[in-house]
Amino acid sequence: MNIKVLLFSFFLVPLLMVAQDEEDYSMYDDLEYADEGATTFASPKIIGLSPNRFINVAWDVQSPYTMNTSDTIGYLPDASWEIKESSNVNYTGGLRLNANIPIISRNNIVWQMGANYMNTNFSIDDADSSGDPILSELNRTSLSTTGLFTTVFKPLNDKQFLIFQGQADYNGNYTFTDFHSFGLTKYSAAVLWGKRPHDRLQWAIGASRTYRVGELNYVPIIMYNWTSKKEKWGTEILFPAKANGKYWMNKNSLIMFGYELEGGSYHLEGLSNNGNSFELRRGAVRPRIEWNRKLVGFFWLNAQLGTRINYGFTYDELENGKEFFRGFFGQQEIAAFSSLGTSLYGLVGISFVSL
Amino acid sequence: MKKFKILAIIFVGLFLLTSMVVDSEDADKLVGVWEPSNKKIKVKIDKISGKYYGKIVWLREPIDPVTGKPKTDKNNPDESLKDVPLKGFRMLKDFVYSGNGEWSEGTIYDPQNGSTYSSVIKLKDENTLDIRGFIGLKTFGRTDVWKRLIMKNKK
Repeated sequence: MNIKVLLFSFFLVPLLMVAQDEEDYSMYDDLEYADEGATTFASPKIIGLSPNRFINVAWDVQSPYTMNTSDTIGYLPDASWEIKESSNVNYTGGLRLNANIPIISRNNIVWQMGANYMNTNFSIDDADSSGDPILSELNRTSLSTTGLFTTVFKPLNDKQFLIFQGQADYNGNYTFTDFHSFGLTKYSAAVLWGKRPHDRLQWAIGASRTYRVGELNYVPIIMYNWTSKKEKWGTEILFPAKANGKYWMNKNSLIMFGYELEGGSYHLEGLSNNGNSFELRRGAVRPRIEWNRKLVGFFWLNAQLGTRINYGFTYDELENGKEFFRGFFGQQEIAAFSSLGTSLYGLVGISFVSL
Repeated sequence: MKKFKILAIIFVGLFLLTSMVVDSEDADKLVGVWEPSNKKIKVKIDKISGKYYGKIVWLREPIDPVTGKPKTDKNNPDESLKDVPLKGFRMLKDFVYSGNGEWSEGTIYDPQNGSTYSSVIKLKDENTLDIRGFIGLKTFGRTDVWKRLIMKNKK
């Protein structure tokens, strides 16, 4: 009798417990809303998107290259120019900080505010002894960008969405103890309308006002984020600003390969006279490979290795600091030219992310 | 005087008892079947040992298009859990009623990326929940609207 009880305890009771746990899920097939269903809105994310960085701290450095500089005499945009000084730039690099904080984050709207700081130091051989004011100014000071930005993602329904981005950047060779005029702040903006046909694809088209290649530009933009069915391969494109292919090695490691345009217009205080703003229009293309790796929890490492190819390194003198749009056909004079040799670059950063 | 003391004790006792019952009734308003705004799953929330847990009981697309088999928790960072079926998976855990129609101290798991977030749940009305998943601070998170589901003809 005791053996039977024991057998029952060991075998039948657990079986009964399992049976209890195996719920008949078919009963949930045919339910109805107690009042009404929630409205479905397009999500700002798709499956397999690279980690969204809330906070990022990074260091960027370039290998040595040659910088050729013209005289500061004024040139037509398509004019040829002669090299006045040729110097070796031993070091180019600096700190990058970025914070992107959600203010409202609900299924029907996402509004984020952010701040960024970027610093570039140059170490140029014989800059002071060359007598070239541009080389001397770049060597003596560093270029800084301090910006505020906002992004609003507004889904219109379960498939369509709008994105608005606005940014104000204070660019120049200032320090935090020696600010220059805030009237020189550069404003950028972008508006996109897009669709999210399914969980692995979102695309959008729009227009932007940008300083990505140094000068002020108005350009159309195309966004195309896609992830393969197996969630390994994909693209993250915001053309022309950046375009990347991606490959998830596993859930904790992502390789991205592509390019990014990077630049801005910087007020150079030491070369600005008579209320005018002498501005460096700096733009570069950065083809690179990027590795994102989970460190712990929601902290990720990002490391980039690539080349920095000069797109533009010219100087404009803005009368009374007033910005202008040259575009493809404008004939406004360029104050001076520089050309930069291509260099290798590396970037290492740590981010606090959301997946 | 003695009668007054006894009456006071009875009154306080009744008040506390009534409060506890009302509080418990409020807390259990979370129990039921709920649907997120994306309508991809249905989640049944139960009370187990004083805490609230929610498991996936229905999937709009139950079959994995890559494997052709029922979906499993393939994105779970724990290798040993990758083959666990999503149907029946407990994605809400450890919620405790903290009063005022709010449940806190819980976690929400996102099967799409295998991440577990801290979470708070707020009952907006009898049939609507605001569920916020966040990382560390509530600021770093996102709120979704869930709606209550009931058996047909139970209205």
